[in-house]
Amino acid sequence: MFTLPFGLRAKLVLLSGFLFAIPWLGYKYVWEMEKYLRQGQERTLIGTARALATALHERPKLFDYQASFLDTVVKGRDLYAYPIDEPILLDGRLYDWEKYSAHVLSYAKEHLITREDTDTSNYTPQSLSFKHMVGKFDNYLYAFFEVTDDKVIYRAQNSLRLTANDHLRIGLIGPDAQFRHYVISNREAGWLDSYLLNERSDNPLLAKPEPKMQGKWMETDKGYNIELRIPLAMLGSKIGFAITDVDDSGARVRGYTIGTSDISDFNDLGTVLVPSPEIERIIKGMGHSSNRLWVVDQHQRVLAQTGDIRASNSIWDLPEEGGKEDGLFDQLEKKLLLPLYYKVLTRPTDDFVDELFDAANLEGEHISKALAGSPSSQWRLTPDKRAVILSAAYPIWIDNKVMGAVIAEETTNGIKSLRNKALEKLFNIILAVMSLGTLALFLFASRISSRIRKLRNETEQAIDEHGKIRREIRTSSTRDEIGDLSRSFASIVSRLGQYTHYLENMSSRLSHELRTPVAVVRSSLENLAMQPLNDDAKVYMARAQEGITRLNKLITNMSEATRLEQTLQSADKETFDLLDVLKGCVEGYRFAYPDAQFELNMPQPPVLIDGAPEHIAQLMDKLITNAVEFSSPSTAIVISAEQDKNHARFSIRNTGPALPEQMKDRIFDSMISLRPQVQQKQPHLGIGLYIARLIAEFHQGKITAQNWQENDASGVEVIVTIPLKES
Amino acid sequence: MSRNIAIVEDEAAIRENYADVLRKQGYEVSTFANRPQAMTAFANRLPDLAIIDIGLEDEIDGGFSLCQSLRAMSATLPIIFLTARDNDFDTVCGLRMGADDYLTKDISLPHLTARIAALFRRLDVMDKPSTPESLLKCGKLTIDTNRMTIHWGESQIEITVTEFWMVYSMARYAGHVKSREQLMQDANIVVDDSTITSHIKRIRKKFVQADPEFSCIDTVYGMGYRWNG
Repeated sequence: MFTLPFGLRAKLVLLSGFLFAIPWLGYKYVWEMEKYLRQGQERTLIGTARALATALHERPKLFDYQASFLDTVVKGRDLYAYPIDEPILLDGRLYDWEKYSAHVLSYAKEHLITREDTDTSNYTPQSLSFKHMVGKFDNYLYAFFEVTDDKVIYRAQNSLRLTANDHLRIGLIGPDAQFRHYVISNREAGWLDSYLLNERSDNPLLAKPEPKMQGKWMETDKGYNIELRIPLAMLGSKIGFAITDVDDSGARVRGYTIGTSDISDFNDLGTVLVPSPEIERIIKGMGHSSNRLWVVDQHQRVLAQTGDIRASNSIWDLPEEGGKEDGLFDQLEKKLLLPLYYKVLTRPTDDFVDELFDAANLEGEHISKALAGSPSSQWRLTPDKRAVILSAAYPIWIDNKVMGAVIAEETTNGIKSLRNKALEKLFNIILAVMSLGTLALFLFASRISSRIRKLRNETEQAIDEHGKIRREIRTSSTRDEIGDLSRSFASIVSRLGQYTHYLENMSSRLSHELRTPVAVVRSSLENLAMQPLNDDAKVYMARAQEGITRLNKLITNMSEATRLEQTLQSADKETFDLLDVLKGCVEGYRFAYPDAQFELNMPQPPVLIDGAPEHIAQLMDKLITNAVEFSSPSTAIVISAEQDKNHARFSIRNTGPALPEQMKDRIFDSMISLRPQVQQKQPHLGIGLYIARLIAEFHQGKITAQNWQENDASGVEVIVTIPLKES
Repeated sequence: MSRNIAIVEDEAAIRENYADVLRKQGYEVSTFANRPQAMTAFANRLPDLAIIDIGLEDEIDGGFSLCQSLRAMSATLPIIFLTARDNDFDTVCGLRMGADDYLTKDISLPHLTARIAALFRRLDVMDKPSTPESLLKCGKLTIDTNRMTIHWGESQIEITVTEFWMVYSMARYAGHVKSREQLMQDANIVVDDSTITSHIKRIRKKFVQADPEFSCIDTVYGMGYRWNG
C-alpha cells in the first residue's frame, strides 16, 4: 500500500493546529464579556430613564392638557399632532405632507355623525369622505383635509348662512376651558373664510370672522382640499373636526356629516395631543446625554422626544485613537487583518432603519410593564437587522398613579465597537502568538528531523553494500534522545567494525597460526625423506609431501588478500596507459595458457589512469584465470576496453556457464567460490575475485559481473570501470 | 673446523628439525628458545650464522631486537629471519634491521640450506680478490657471483640473498623475460606472485636509490620481468 511520506515536521505542524482553539476560546470569552456589558448597559439605561422620570414625578400640570386622564383614547377621535420639521405652505396642495403620509387617517362611513333622522343607507364614499391629519410646527397646529365630494357647493354669494353649503366645523376647548365652535364656509376656493360661532346661537349674523384660523381651500378632481393652521394659543386639550356635505345647490339641504368626533357635545369632543413643549424642555437637558428619550402618556402616546439614536454617543464609545503616524504594523493591520476580521465580525453601523423615528405611539412589553408600574427593558432588532436597540422604560408617578413613562433608547453599537476592538486586539495577539508558535514548532521539527535524517544518512553511509564498515559515525554531543541514539549507533557500528575486522583478519590470522604447525610437519617430513626409506614408505612420503604442499598453498592464498590490502595501503600511484598493461597481460596469457584463445578489442589512443600497473596486472591475472577456467573449450575470451568522458572501462568476456542471479553481486566477496567440487583440482578459497575487487576499489573503480547472451552463445562478462586520470 | 649456526626459535619441533638437517650437513648447531638465552650465549661467542624467528615466546618482536644486537656486535655476521609472518611490513622491517635474508616458514629445507651455503660461501670469498671469471657485467651493472655483491656503476647495492639471485637470474640473460616461476626457482624460494612483485619492487627501489635514472627492470605484464641492459 502506498503511504504518503508524513514527516515529523508535517505532524508537528498538524498538531500546532490545536493552537486554533485559543482564538476560539478568546472569541467565546469576549462574547461572554459582551453579555455582561449588555447587562451593564441595561442597568445604566434604566438608570437614565429613572433619572428623567424622577424629574417628572408629581408634576400633574405637565400632564393636565393632555388626555392623560382619559381612560381610553380612540384612534381617529383623539388626535395626535405630529411634530412637523419644515414649515407648511398653506396653499391647498398637500405635497408638504407627503412625508407624514403614514399618519394620515381616513374618515368615511364609520365616522358619520348621525342624528335620529339620518339615513345612512345611501351613503357612498364618493359623496363624502376625507383624509385628515394634524401636525405641529412652531406654535401652530396644522391640519389638512383631503375631501372626496362629488359635488362641491360653495356658500352662495348673497347668503349669510354659513352652513347651507359644504363646510368644515371645528369644535374646541380653549385654554380657558371655553367650548367654542368655528365654521369654515367659503364662497369660493381660496383663502379660508373662518368664523367663530356664537356660543348660544347658530345665527350667522352673530358669527364673527376668525382671522387667526388661516388656510386655503383648493378644489381638486375628487372634491377639495383644506389646509389650515390654528395658533396653539387658541387650543386647549380637546378638538374635533366635522365636514358637512351639501349636494343640492338649490334646496341646500344638509347631507352627511363626517367628523373626527361629535363636536356638538362638549363631552364627546376628541382630544388632541400636542407634543408638550414643557416636558420637552425638561428632557432636552437630558437629551445631551447619549440616548434617545421619550416621554409617553399612559396611552403610550409620545408627549416628548429628544435625542437622536443614530448620533448618540454612548458612554461605551471609545475615544478615537488618531493622530499618530501609521507604522508598518498599523498598515498591515488596516490593509490585511481588519478586512479579514470583519468577514467574521459585524461593524456597528449608524445606517439602520429606525421605525420609531417619528412614532406617535410607542408599543412594547417593556412600556406596558412600565405603565403598569415596574421598570423594564427590552432588546429589539431594527427591521433591517443592522443594529440592536436597547430600550428601557420607567414609570412616572403622580399621586400614586402611573401617568406615563420615560423610555430611554440606545443602540448597542458602543458595546459592539468595544467588543470589536477587544476582538481585534485579541486576534492580533493570537495571530502573533500562533505564527510564532507555529514557526517555533516548525523550526524545532525541522531541526529534529534534520538531525534524524543526518543520523540516518551517516548510518547508511557507515556500511557499504558489502557490509563493510566504511567509516565511523560521528557521535553527537547533544544530551538528548537523538544524541543518545547517535551514540548508540556509533557504538554499534564500531562494535560491528571490530567484529568485521575480526572476520576479515580471520583467514590471515588462521594462516599465520597454521603456518607454524605446517612448518613442523613439513620440516619433519623433509627430515624423514632424507632417511633411507623402503619403497612402501616412499609412496606415503610422497603423498604426505604433496598434501603438505597443497596445505601450504592454501595457507598462502588465505593470507593473500590481507597482504594485498597492506600492500595497497602503501602502494604509490603512477600515471600509466591502461591499454599497454592490458595488451602486455594478454600477450603473457597467450604463453601461459597455450590452449586458450584470446581476442583483444582495444581503441587506438592511450587510456591514461592513475594507479599501480602491477596491481592492474594482478587483477587481470585473477579475472583471466577465472575466465579460462570457466570458458567452454575452443571459445575465445574477449578482452575489450573503451573510455568515455570520465571513465576507462574494460571487460573480460568468456563463453560458458552463466552466473546464478543471486550470486552476481556476491562473487566479489571474500571466500565465495562457485566452482563445482569436481573442478577443485587446485585449492580455491574464493579469494581471487575478492582481490580483483580490492584492486578495482584501490583505483576508485568498480567491478561487476553480468551474464550475456548472443545468438546461441552465452556466458559471463566481468566489467571493470576505473576513473580516468584527472587532467 | 665446522661452522657454528645459531637457531633462535621458540617452537621446539621446528627448531630441532632445522637443527637436525643442518647438523647432517656438517654444521655445528646451537639452539635457543628465547632471546635472553641466545644473548647470553652470543656474549660468550658469536656464531657464524644466525637463524632467528621474530616472535620469541612472550616477546612479539624479540627477533628484531636480537637482530639489532647481533648486528651491533658484528657487521658481517649473516643473519636470516625465518618466520611465520609474511606481510610486507615485517619483511621491510626485518631487512632494515640488517638481516641478510627474510624467509617464511613455508620454505623447504633444501632451499634453506642452499641459502646458508651461499651465505657461507660469500663469507669465505670476502677477503679474497675477485676473480674475473666470477664477474658478470651488463652496462653499469657488475655482479660478483662469488662474493654475491652487486655494483651499479661504482656504488654497491646492499642486497639480500634472495634479491641477489633474482637480479642475477634476470641479468644473466638480459633482454629475456623471466617469468615469476623462473625467478622463484633461481632464487630458491616458493612464494606467491605478489611476494615476487614485492621483491622486484624492493630491488628497483634499491637501484633507484643509487641512481634515480635507473630503469633496467621492465615489468612484462602477464609474463614476468626483464633486465634491459
